[in-house]
Amino acid sequence: MVDVSQHTLVPEHTLLEEEEVEEMLDEYDVKRTNLPKIKRTDPAAPDGVETGDVVKIVRDSRTTDTAVTYRLVIE
Amino acid sequence: MTEYEHVTEDVEALVEDRDIPRRLKLRIYDTIEEREGVSPAQADEIAQAVEARYLDTRVDPLDPVGTVSAQSIGEPGTQMTMNTFHYAGVAEIDVTQGLPRLIELVDARKTPDTPMMTVYLEGEYATERERAHEVVWSMEATKILALGDVSTNVADMVVQIDLNEDTLMERWPTVDNVDTVAQEIAETIEDALGVKTRRSGTVVEFGPEAPSYRRLLQLVEELRDIVFKGIEDITRVVIRKEENDETGDEEFVLYTEGSAFGDVLPIEGVDASRTTSNNIHEIHRNLGIEAAREAIINETMNTLREQGLDDVNVRHLMLVADIMTNRGEIESIGRHGISGSKDSVLARAAFEVTVNHLLDAAIHGEEDDLDGVIENVIVGKPIAIGTGDVDLRMGSIEASADDETDAAAPEPSDD
Repeated sequence: MVDVSQHTLVPEHTLLEEEEVEEMLDEYDVKRTNLPKIKRTDPAAPDGVETGDVVKIVRDSRTTDTAVTYRLVIE
Repeated sequence: MTEYEHVTEDVEALVEDRDIPRRLKLRIYDTIEEREGVSPAQADEIAQAVEARYLDTRVDPLDPVGTVSAQSIGEPGTQMTMNTFHYAGVAEIDVTQGLPRLIELVDARKTPDTPMMTVYLEGEYATERERAHEVVWSMEATKILALGDVSTNVADMVVQIDLNEDTLMERWPTVDNVDTVAQEIAETIEDALGVKTRRSGTVVEFGPEAPSYRRLLQLVEELRDIVFKGIEDITRVVIRKEENDETGDEEFVLYTEGSAFGDVLPIEGVDASRTTSNNIHEIHRNLGIEAAREAIINETMNTLREQGLDDVNVRHLMLVADIMTNRGEIESIGRHGISGSKDSVLARAAFEVTVNHLLDAAIHGEEDDLDGVIENVIVGKPIAIGTGDVDLRMGSIEASADDETDAAAPEPSDD
């Protein structure tokens, strides 16, 4: 199988611990469901993610060096 | 501070006071830590500079970013060519460009008008032409006419294929025996057409079970469509020598007419970390939603650049890509996608097919909360954007001595 995470188009995805999720939601003052979504079956999703988890994505940004974003895992 | 050795309480207080997000504060601490401490005056200067830069780059509250993006992409769009085809770059492959391509991208069409891939190679496949050709032959769909001559003998009711020995050896570089290849071809024909074949050397013969002129011609037709090697969707591959942007070395790059991203990535010799397709759905399927977002930005930006319109700020295209990928799958902008899934009846009706939306809404007794912009333009109320969403109240505030600057903050307004 091809290792999807090695592709230049794919930014780094990491599963966020519950504690970190709360911290992040607090910082941005948003609800979990306000986050952009990612499918559980997404080829780039980290192994073993479940619906309701939050994935942290560190993109190589075009406007600054890196940009951090989050996606909520959905069905 | 506990986790920072070199950040004193004075410095911390100065930084904490600034109107910047937590992550930037942490980065300031990290930087100070790296420099092994700075004086409070220096720290204040740093924090001030970071704050100024941060406030400078931040979008104002209630700024209609979507509308600004729409205008910023729309205006240059009027200068784009309507001309569909163009030989892109130097590779002699037809690709849709200009406005039709831009529309195709934001409409998120299932397949582009002219699908193509840019296939990068790795190791010696990238440096040796012979090896690069191996990859070409395993991708390009090879049909019977490329392999030999087909003749139909009506008298004997047979189709005779005279395979070209040199071509076989060239296209099956890993097999060193012509017989093996010819046998493989004969078997492929048997499987695909359901007929018995006879083979002697490189000549393969077959015919209909019972003598039938129609069936014979039908077999020849079907024979032409069989893919003996390669991927059916890839009709042509162009091989080019290019300079690698990163290493500066020369390497072979393949451009394909037709796209089958998922099938190409696992092929030996293909660099699965750089190869791309112009089909955003294939990218999404194989690399995920984030890669699809990147691909949308790249494709739209390249389309604009090709037309000399690259002064469009990439942030507008990033916004478009963010919205198209927001729900974890690619959605189009138009009435079947984002615009069509708006809550407001009036907003949907204002976009396209007005009557249908109004009729459906009437049948189902829909209500409109008038939260959006367009609805309020229609009914003639102030829109909830910019100054339209700010309420000012007259009154007096009792200002305490150290609160003075804060209390004076609301500036006089014309409202």
